[in-house]
Amino acid sequence: MAKRILITDDALFMRVTLRNILEKNGYEVAGEAANGRESIEMYQQVKPDLVTMDITMPEMDGISALKEIKKVDPNATIVMCTAMGQKQMVMEAVSAGAKDFIVKPFQPDKVLESIQKLIG
Amino acid sequence: MKVQYINPFIEASFKVIEMVIGLQPVKGTLAMHPSMFTTQQCNIITGVTGKVEGMVIYGMSLTTADKIASRMIGQPVRTFDQLAASAIAELGNMITGNASMLLSEAGFICDITPPSIVRGTSLKMTTLNIPALVVPLCLEGIGDIEMTVSLQER
Repeated sequence: MAKRILITDDALFMRVTLRNILEKNGYEVAGEAANGRESIEMYQQVKPDLVTMDITMPEMDGISALKEIKKVDPNATIVMCTAMGQKQMVMEAVSAGAKDFIVKPFQPDKVLESIQKLIG
Repeated sequence: MKVQYINPFIEASFKVIEMVIGLQPVKGTLAMHPSMFTTQQCNIITGVTGKVEGMVIYGMSLTTADKIASRMIGQPVRTFDQLAASAIAELGNMITGNASMLLSEAGFICDITPPSIVRGTSLKMTTLNIPALVVPLCLEGIGDIEMTVSLQER
């Protein structure tokens, strides 16, 4: 069965780009969330194998959403996928339980490599 | 507005444009404006907060915006729809995001705000009274992006 991924990004363009990369490589997109709050709600509904999480988003940012999802499911596999790779940001995300940190713009291979390593 | 704030934006814009659009831009002559101002038809506005704060605008013509969006999406943009607008906004987000990373490495720890797109000419921002530095970036076969950076140390 295909592994299921929840995409979180406020930019429609990024959601479409990630969906194309994932679907072309045998993954199923379990849902698309446009901000942190939506991502938390959808996580509980669709129970994905992995979540891609942007950081800068309206309503609720990705770091807050990461922490909330981890509270609900400490085993959640979340990969940050953001235009900001500040050391403090990476450290905060990793200490809050993020499994990887991808800085945009990215090559499709970089995303796939990270996901394959985590969920196969 | 210190000149040292502009270099991270130039470096980031070159890196992002090369990766996302697939060509190396040519930098035009730097100019100083007494305040934030754009005469471009399509403007991506991004905010910077933290040790340095202010605004960065990426302005371009509608034709250039269409061409950039087409390259990013991988197919021609017939109408400038939500997907095309989102692609253009993401370009600004990525440049400001990468620049903020470089600024943070230089000791100016900062964060960015989600991008907005404003269409319409003669846009004058009066929220910040900081002079702005303007860098034209020429993209061969696509058009120019005018990068206007207005930042100050907090």
